[in-house]
Amino acid sequence: MRSMSPPRPLRLTLNDRPVETSCPNERILLDLLREDLNLTGTKRGCDLGTCGCCTVWIDGRATLSCLTLARSTEGHSVTTIEGVSPATGLNPVQKAFVERGATQCGFCTPGFIMTATALLRDHPHPSRSEITEAIAGNLCRCTGYTKIIEAIESAASGDR
Amino acid sequence: MSTADASPKFRLLGGRIPYVEGPLKVTGRAEYTDDIKRPGMLYGGLLRSPWPHARLVSIDVSSARSLPGVYAVLTGEKYPTPFGVLPITHDETAIAVGKARYIGDIIAAVAATDERTAELAMAAIRVEVEPLPEYADPQTGLAPVTEPIHARGLAGTNIQKEVVQHFGDVDAAFAQASHTVRVRGTFAGVTHAFTEPMATIAESTPDGRLTVWSATQVPHYLHRALSEVLGIPMHRIRVIKPEVGGGFGGKSDPLPHEIACAALALETGRPVKIRFDREDVFLTNHGRHPTQNDVRIAADSEGHLSAYDIQAVLDGGAWSSFGTVTTYYNGVLAMGPYRVPNFRYRGRRVYTNKPPSGAMRAHGGTNIRYSVEVALDELAESIGLDPFVLRERNALPPNSTTVNQLRITSTSFRQCLDASRVRSGWADKFRRLPFGEGIGLGCGFYISGSNSPIHFTPKMPQCTVHLKVDMDGGIAVHSMQADIGQGSNTLLAAIVAEVLGVDLDRVHVVRVDSDISPVDIGSYSSRVTFMMGNAARRAAEELLATLLRAASELCGYPVDQLAVERERYVPRHRPEVAVSFMDALHKAMEKVGALTATGAYSSPPMGGTFKGARAGTAPAYSFAAYVAQVRVDAETGEYHVGTIWAAFDCGRPLNRLAVEGQIEGSIHMGLGQLMGETMSYRSTRLMNPSLLEYKIPAPQQMPRVECLLVGQDDPEGPFGAKEAGEGPLVATLPAVANALYDAIGVRFHELPITPDRVVRGIEQRRKEGRPWKGA
Amino acid sequence: MHLDPFELYRPSTVEEVVRLTRDLGAACDVLAGGTDLLPNYKMHINLKPNLVALEEVEELRSYTLERVGSMTRLADLDRDTDFARAYPGVAAAVHEVATPLVRERATVGGNLLVETRCFFFNQTFPWRQSLGFCLKADGDRCHVVPQKERCYATFSGDLAPALAAVDASVELAGPDGRRTIPVLDLYDPGGDGIRRHRLRPNEIVVAVSFPAASRGLPANYQKLRIRPTFDFPELGLAAAGLVESGTVRSLAIAAGGLETYPRRFDEVTRPLVGERLNETNRNAASEAIMRSVRPVHNTFLAPDYRRRMVGVYVRRALDRLANGPPGVPG
Ligand SMILES: Cc1cc2nc3c(=O)[nH]c(=O)nc-3n(C[C@H](O)[C@H](O)[C@H](O)COP(=O)(O)OP(=O)(O)OC[C@H]3O[C@@H](n4cnc5c(N)ncnc54)[C@H](O)[C@@H]3O)c2cc1C
Ligand code: SF4
Ligand code: FES
Ligand code: FES
Repeated sequence: MRSMSPPRPLRLTLNDRPVETSCPNERILLDLLREDLNLTGTKRGCDLGTCGCCTVWIDGRATLSCLTLARSTEGHSVTTIEGVSPATGLNPVQKAFVERGATQCGFCTPGFIMTATALLRDHPHPSRSEITEAIAGNLCRCTGYTKIIEAIESAASGDR
Repeated sequence: MSTADASPKFRLLGGRIPYVEGPLKVTGRAEYTDDIKRPGMLYGGLLRSPWPHARLVSIDVSSARSLPGVYAVLTGEKYPTPFGVLPITHDETAIAVGKARYIGDIIAAVAATDERTAELAMAAIRVEVEPLPEYADPQTGLAPVTEPIHARGLAGTNIQKEVVQHFGDVDAAFAQASHTVRVRGTFAGVTHAFTEPMATIAESTPDGRLTVWSATQVPHYLHRALSEVLGIPMHRIRVIKPEVGGGFGGKSDPLPHEIACAALALETGRPVKIRFDREDVFLTNHGRHPTQNDVRIAADSEGHLSAYDIQAVLDGGAWSSFGTVTTYYNGVLAMGPYRVPNFRYRGRRVYTNKPPSGAMRAHGGTNIRYSVEVALDELAESIGLDPFVLRERNALPPNSTTVNQLRITSTSFRQCLDASRVRSGWADKFRRLPFGEGIGLGCGFYISGSNSPIHFTPKMPQCTVHLKVDMDGGIAVHSMQADIGQGSNTLLAAIVAEVLGVDLDRVHVVRVDSDISPVDIGSYSSRVTFMMGNAARRAAEELLATLLRAASELCGYPVDQLAVERERYVPRHRPEVAVSFMDALHKAMEKVGALTATGAYSSPPMGGTFKGARAGTAPAYSFAAYVAQVRVDAETGEYHVGTIWAAFDCGRPLNRLAVEGQIEGSIHMGLGQLMGETMSYRSTRLMNPSLLEYKIPAPQQMPRVECLLVGQDDPEGPFGAKEAGEGPLVATLPAVANALYDAIGVRFHELPITPDRVVRGIEQRRKEGRPWKGA
Repeated sequence: MHLDPFELYRPSTVEEVVRLTRDLGAACDVLAGGTDLLPNYKMHINLKPNLVALEEVEELRSYTLERVGSMTRLADLDRDTDFARAYPGVAAAVHEVATPLVRERATVGGNLLVETRCFFFNQTFPWRQSLGFCLKADGDRCHVVPQKERCYATFSGDLAPALAAVDASVELAGPDGRRTIPVLDLYDPGGDGIRRHRLRPNEIVVAVSFPAASRGLPANYQKLRIRPTFDFPELGLAAAGLVESGTVRSLAIAAGGLETYPRRFDEVTRPLVGERLNETNRNAASEAIMRSVRPVHNTFLAPDYRRRMVGVYVRRALDRLANGPPGVPG
């Protein structure tokens, strides 16, 4: 085990704004967001790709910030839960999650919101089984997924 | 304020109330412990034992201490006072003293500028040990051993607790029985696997105070343990509970890392954070005990149960934790929902060199319930009775007492049976579906808050709620109940708003902070709705009385003629002179300023006088009757649970959204234990400390869940409510197991029921020449 | 969890990659999506001081139906309905890899070269240290089959068997130039199991290419695991072939998730070509394949069960080739 390598400059688009920062080669995106940039909405549940709590978008794709080197985002765009949340109020997916009780302890929730928002952006009217498949990389220990799936369905149909 | 209104009309309660902190959670703004940073904060690291059982001969920390960036290295001797969640079994220390007792036991703690430096420091610690015999199998520990894991083991064995109980005459009942069944169950350990790894921050300040932020279900027990071990009076310690990402029992003990973190803060004078990796969470465990039980049931020819004879051996792992309670529960929680006149139980919990077992959702009630309900299915078959009929014949009536003196007040168990039978279409399906498809019944019973609080001196209520309202009209609610995602903050706010007649957005539940929150013993044993609910109601009623007196002064009508309506108090026959909440408030404040009110709850005295009589006593019980329908791939042994009809008696559901959420989540967790979750050990070594190899069910595996809330009001519950947080789990497992039997004719007495076991079962039955449903 | 420091290179052409890796020699790993390498690095398994990232190499990212660049993300293949029509078995395997979130970063090349897996290996540094490590990383013995020569870690990639079943090949680039080999030649059945591939030093996978005959060939992929997501294959069975009115015109079966390398069972399937498929020869084939595999106990499900499922899966695969509508993802 050795200590850190020197920080190198890093430029990316973060939540639609250009950001210039710096980090060592071995910095993981999740840690860059949470520890260096204080964007703590993205959660660390396992650090190994097995829970989805750390889901962010990279160039619009919902994926795992714990399995991405921060430096891999050089010149790319990263969107976090902070980036999909309006300045006031909630986006339709968030609203549906609240109203349907799709968040209990809430630790998995930012990850689910990122996955679900990307799903509905690409497939405005997913079937129930498409929803189930789409969230199959996000783990929730509280809800049994039932109300999460209901919330995504309701956000999709706009019936809230 | 009549409490026994026959058909109360509620504005909020009984509806679907979205969780008050929902908007914070969906935006990532809810603050969990690891989201908090303190100025000058250091990071703690914990060196864990690679040995299952070893005497610590020497620990050389000198080179670790001299590394740049290292602020403190602590070993066990500094704070050797033992602690534990139960006052009678203090056998844990913050950092191991003298011995390491499992792979993962903490043997040193380090504080450094960052986690990487802490890791380097840990790698530099030299530990010399003398290996001791390793005890993996609880059966070995039943007899005297050469090196007991703890000195307090019973007579040179590793037995931590033995419970022996006998009510009635079990042998006579078996001698007279026309039917008997016996089930020997084997249950792998399972663990909570909440998504938020534990995290703690501690900070000691020059004013002599210590502040601890921690992901805990029971801030009060942590508060006590910190004080006892660190030798600081409680009033100089402040415990804050940020948002908690799930607990399920796993964050209910005061945990060693929490105390070690505080010790590092004291040592360094700097804030220190310890946050767990997923492997740490698995090694901390405190999950459901690996269990072997042996259940014999006797009945007459009509299916009236006459006796239970139960034995259980529980694998306790390295420490006691809640184990004494678990040992009782594995017997006494078999005593509902049926009347059983004779009961004998012998339970033993044995220390092993494994991560400690403890309390996990439906603590102590899950494994025994599985064996009993599977045995009853076998019994029904052998008598030739429909499983529903067998249950109906034996259902405990309301206002009855079990042979071990559990007081049953409300029960809607019969209504549960009716609902799940009708909704599932049982009559057309049971034993009538083709081979590979099946339907099964499993029932449940669970405590609604333990009657015996774990806290000891002084005598005080189990829960207290304070309200404060100032001229702004916002109502601050203080209580140390711990919302860990189950929605207790929401219920607290809703009860206060309901009683006062105000809008929900006036009510603000203040984050748990021991400096301001009155003591509540936290979120475990399904106690919160019942106990906090009653306390909140009392506090709100006290405040309402003050407001009504003021309103009465303003409008000139006596208090008993005022009705509570939305945001106003209305004379029955003169609505035009109604007094608004704000006017009443300001009137009431004229002499005293901001209003405060308090409410508390203590459960009534109950239970027998024999040893252990308090175990299992609760002010109320929940009941359940679940029907599961499954489909089995007989070639691969894979199976899918299609639907669970979940009839549940939680009294009056106060927040349907939350009750359904608890049922759905419980079913998911129960299915996990049934289908694949297992703490997999080779000897004492945990082989799967990861969410990849610990098989929490995926969304595709979740059945359709139909929640059938058929409970009637409980006489003592707040607004008639009882628990819904744990009871919904227990019926899940036997319902599915009995459905598997209906599908393929195979009984499963070992969990988890993985596909290889299913295939083996089918093959066995074929080999024995016992075709099932023609296959 | 923290990564140890490393030097990171982000070249933009294959030639640069080859030059860099040749200069760095054995002291480097290539980084594709990182979904396999980074978890291993976080657990301090076989760390190298240099990483050469392939993500900015344009050539590796391009794909057509004939030739799929090694840096093609699995999610992109998964979304491509033309790809699913062309190679239904491969598409099915792609869809079964890991989770949707992982597939957004995971690549084809990384999947072919995914590290083999074992209970005693995919563990944190302290965990492995407490057992004195093992042959495959930092140690000198095997805990699964006690001896000191060979590792039995399980090959757990989903794509290799599916690609092998349709005769796909891989295009490699290295210091000696480019070459193309059949997919299965990437793996070394005769090796010690520690090194999981037969790439020459500093060779990388550039692309996977498909022969014209495989386009539209009926194929399927079945995967055994506890959960329908997350889990690596404990058996992945791929079959491809043409069965015309009951007669086998072509057939290949391959499996992964069982042993240290993926395998094809030509010795069993070849004699079936030209034959009419019936229950007897179907069962005989399934029996023969089942008998020839030797899983060990280093994954979640017991080896005897995994082996037994080989038999079931082969029967089902053949039935689907015989009855199933061609070209529909299995
Ligand atoms: C939770 C989880 C579940 C998973 N489940 C599965 C599963 O079910 N099935 C499955 O197959 N995989 C699974 N994986 C593993 C992994 O995600 C996939 O195998 C993925 O396709 C690997 O691709 P990558 O680009 O991320 O590889 P990387 O991690 O970047 O690389 C993997 C290895 O291949 C080497 N490599 C990569 N590209 C090249 C190249 N072009 N030339 C030479 N060497 C190269 C790397 O040096 C490294 O050694 C899982 C991973 C996680 C985290
Ligand atoms: S099979 Fe043996 S050598 Fe290979 S990874 Fe497992 S324990 Fe190590
Ligand atoms: S923290 Fe990234 S998947 Fe769990
Ligand atoms: S809400 Fe707790 S893990 Fe999903």
